[in-house]
Amino acid sequence: MLKIEKLVAGYGKVQVLHEITIEVPKGKLVTLIGSNGAGKTTTLRAISGMIEPSSGSITLNGTSIAGLPSHEITRLGLAHSPEGRRVFPTLSVTDNLLLGAFPRLTGKRPKGEVEKDMQRMFELFPRLQERREQLAGTLSGGEQQMLAMARALMLNPEVLLLDEPSMGLAPKLVEEVFATIARLKQASITMLLVEQFAAAALDVADFGYVLENGRLAGSGPAAQLKNDPAVRAAYLGAAH
Amino acid sequence: MQNFLQILVSGISVGMIYGVIAFGYQLTFATSKTLNFGQGEALTLGALVGFSVVTALIGMGASPLLAYLLSLPLVLAFGLAQGSAVEWLGVRQAMKTKSEAGWIMSTIALGIIFKNMAENIWGKDPLKFPSPLPENPISLGGVNIRPMEIAIVLGALAMMLAVELFNRRSIYGKAVVATSNDRDAAGLMGINTSLVITFSYALSSLSAALAGVLVAPVTLTGAQMGAALGLKAFAVAIIGGLSSGLGVVVGGLILGITESLTGFYVDTGYKDVPGLILLLLVLSFKPAGLFGKTAIKKV
Repeated sequence: MLKIEKLVAGYGKVQVLHEITIEVPKGKLVTLIGSNGAGKTTTLRAISGMIEPSSGSITLNGTSIAGLPSHEITRLGLAHSPEGRRVFPTLSVTDNLLLGAFPRLTGKRPKGEVEKDMQRMFELFPRLQERREQLAGTLSGGEQQMLAMARALMLNPEVLLLDEPSMGLAPKLVEEVFATIARLKQASITMLLVEQFAAAALDVADFGYVLENGRLAGSGPAAQLKNDPAVRAAYLGAAH
Repeated sequence: MQNFLQILVSGISVGMIYGVIAFGYQLTFATSKTLNFGQGEALTLGALVGFSVVTALIGMGASPLLAYLLSLPLVLAFGLAQGSAVEWLGVRQAMKTKSEAGWIMSTIALGIIFKNMAENIWGKDPLKFPSPLPENPISLGGVNIRPMEIAIVLGALAMMLAVELFNRRSIYGKAVVATSNDRDAAGLMGINTSLVITFSYALSSLSAALAGVLVAPVTLTGAQMGAALGLKAFAVAIIGGLSSGLGVVVGGLILGITESLTGFYVDTGYKDVPGLILLLLVLSFKPAGLFGKTAIKKV
């Protein structure tokens, strides 16, 4: 499905990622964990074309997407819910969701399907339905996060990248976000999840990769990583 | 009182012209945080292209009104093409290299080139644009209004309303708004944001070209006509706020009316002064414009 091989990327002359190799199989949830500044967000930004990788290959269903502009990558079926939510503040909740389906609305697919998907999003996130006519900028942080995820799902993506969906949320909302991710997993949506709450991420994921200073420091089935003494010491805290 | 109303009427029509040009500044500023400083020349070219088409059609036997209406689609299409060319030649490269001031220099340079082209093609002397509507004023309660002045106000409002409707109702318009909100996030939606910016330049020049053919019948048409209008509209965009659609209309009216009033009650030579004083006041006390949202930059 999504394959990243020997990815090198950074900002200007600063190299952040050093030959990262990650594989996200169809229908699986893969999580990328690591401390702040390890390069998790940079990895996602390089995959979705927000920054141009300097070398390495990225393929989506066998098509090379490395170096393409982000709008073309999105049109190939890769959705990215970015760090900091980035909803469109002056547009309504409904309009934000419609824009998530922009490639479908401007392509050949019938509009009716998009309406149906919007209904599904409202079932998944009832709060969004209550606020459908409200401007996204007036939503609370938790609601904006739900909107950002719903907006990415409106693409009907082949792969969904989720960057720190729990960031800045109250503990109760964090639980809610992870419950939603678990539901998406049940629906067999292929996902690459970047999270600072490593324990919760490994609980819900199938596979995990550990990123340390821009290099892969380990990988494996999530349950196995969770019991790895080194991972436990570094990312899961003494309490676990 | 009669005089005052009369002056108000002419101030309003001039003000609406400023408003439409300033509206064009807003369009590109919203999507790309850049402006076309050759906006005045876009107006000039629109008016002159309109002049050539209208005189040619009249030469073929069309009535001035019919010729004018037939010329509109051509003038607007020309505006779209001219604006796209400005973005393509002058702005895109500067934005790619993240140059802070490159687009300022290149749009000014392109403006000068367009003005020279206009002088070479249409000459340096002002031309008389055939008026599509009767030039004799109609009297409304003792105030004389030229039919073209009404057409200016209606044409300007229709243009702004059409863009507003497009932005609110169509998915492509929403894509433009999304690009203004957050360009990177818009890219993630599958929106080709460089195309959106080209489009906003096209639309910006289209509004200038429309302003050109609206104002041409009531003024002298020529290569010089746009420079002063473009500059004043820039002041209007600053006074009204670069982020507020309503702001440019009100800003345009304020400038148009104060100019007419000063010209009549003080001295024509001073008519530009109050507008510029207002500009200075706005810049000192409300830099985002009278109607602009104050931008809080997150650090």
